[in-house]
Amino acid sequence: MTCDAVRNLIPLYYYGELTPEEEDQTEAHIHECAACAADMKQARALAAALDRRRMEALPSLLVECRADLSAAVRGASAGPAWKLWLEAAGATFAGFHRWRQPLGAAACLVIGFFAARFVPAGSGASTASLTPSEGVFVNVRSALPDSSGGVRIAYDETQRHEISGTVNDPEIRKLLLAAAHEEDDPGVRVESVGLLKDHAASNEVREALMNALLHDSNPGVRLKAIEGLKPLSAEAPVRGALSQALEYDDNEAVRMQAVDLLTMSPDDATVGILQNLVQREDNGYVRSKCAKALKEMNASIGTF
Amino acid sequence: MQDAAGTAGARVSSEVDSLVRAAQRGDQDAFERLVRAYDQGVLRLAMNLLRSPEDARDVYQEAFLRVYRNLHAFRFDCSFHTWLYRIVTNICLDQLRKRKVRKEEPAVVETSEGAMDRTEGFEEESADANPERVTWSRQLGRRIGDALEELTPRERMVFELRHYEGLRLRNIGEILGTSEEAAKNCFFRATQKMRTLLGDLV
Repeated sequence: MTCDAVRNLIPLYYYGELTPEEEDQTEAHIHECAACAADMKQARALAAALDRRRMEALPSLLVECRADLSAAVRGASAGPAWKLWLEAAGATFAGFHRWRQPLGAAACLVIGFFAARFVPAGSGASTASLTPSEGVFVNVRSALPDSSGGVRIAYDETQRHEISGTVNDPEIRKLLLAAAHEEDDPGVRVESVGLLKDHAASNEVREALMNALLHDSNPGVRLKAIEGLKPLSAEAPVRGALSQALEYDDNEAVRMQAVDLLTMSPDDATVGILQNLVQREDNGYVRSKCAKALKEMNASIGTF
Repeated sequence: MQDAAGTAGARVSSEVDSLVRAAQRGDQDAFERLVRAYDQGVLRLAMNLLRSPEDARDVYQEAFLRVYRNLHAFRFDCSFHTWLYRIVTNICLDQLRKRKVRKEEPAVVETSEGAMDRTEGFEEESADANPERVTWSRQLGRRIGDALEELTPRERMVFELRHYEGLRLRNIGEILGTSEEAAKNCFFRATQKMRTLLGDLV
């Protein structure tokens, strides 16, 4: 084996990724060649240096992540009973593709309806393309015998559509704003706010992000919203929302983000809040940031 | 010894499969146990790749929500670990690519000294540590960070999974939807770049 060939194999040799034959040959060469032995030593030193950069996930972050996920999953699984039934039916029919989707259509067949029709695309003149997908969801409101010996069924039908485009497309924007605000599933709210957060320059998006920060029950959504508000943290209405979050949000990650943004350019309006928090905040990081900002502003740490 | 390890591995795999099947039937407790079996690794990978607790948190949430929504479609064609890491690596690669496009600063620390406290991964630097050593350690950390930023997202991912997560290149190829050979080439390119960029330090 030549030195060039061995040098190319050294990283793989170090990580134990060579075939046994290649490994034997490389090892034999390294024992006899000082230059390649030096290369091997360098590979080891580099790996040791890289090890120093390894990070472990902090337990507090893991706890927060688990709490967010648990809330999102609880929200996702708390749908109406018929939806759960349809999901269960979906799993049961999973092997039979023609039955599997749309589940609502299967339900329609069972009750003698062939109601799977799609609603035409909206009249929006956006560049987004609106195409109906196959999903139809049926909610049976009542099933009663009628006078002729048949059955009369009242049902609501929801048709799933897919729309694709950019966040700047009006239709997409409208749907994302609605989903960020009203959608029951926190996972969808997280996704919607996550997509909107880079467009906070628009007034309606900024409003939606501030609303999410102050009123969303899910901390994951609030953290996404605060991320989107970051470039606007010098603006008075945003600072107002951040101050409220800092004072009242029960999630410490949200308060940590809020204090970071507010103390980037501290102003007189926040002094009272910071003084208050120095006294009563549980989170050490938030307390220390408040104290530091007060010191920089030459304000007293305590309230009198 | 190998047999014992093999048996233990098979037992773990069968336990995981049972949890997956229970979770597929809607057992929330099984889903939670499944998450807890893997989430530390997922969070660590995201933290090491993205160097930001907030981004890591996003990856965690998105990955496990995708798992939750799509678990019914998992058909045991590969291990659950491989399937999960496919999802996680896709999300992380998207993030890394976005950063490249935006040419963002490497997010060693995203916002402030506080976040840095939360992400600090380097050796503990006590107040009485040798100042020269502390300075050198910081320089080394920065240089390594810069070097890692020079890798393509895919090279970075392969390197991360091999060096920090200790996965075999064969498994990495499977996760990334490519061959072992392609993963090997990618890993080789990554190590060559790292050697070129950091060779003078070690």
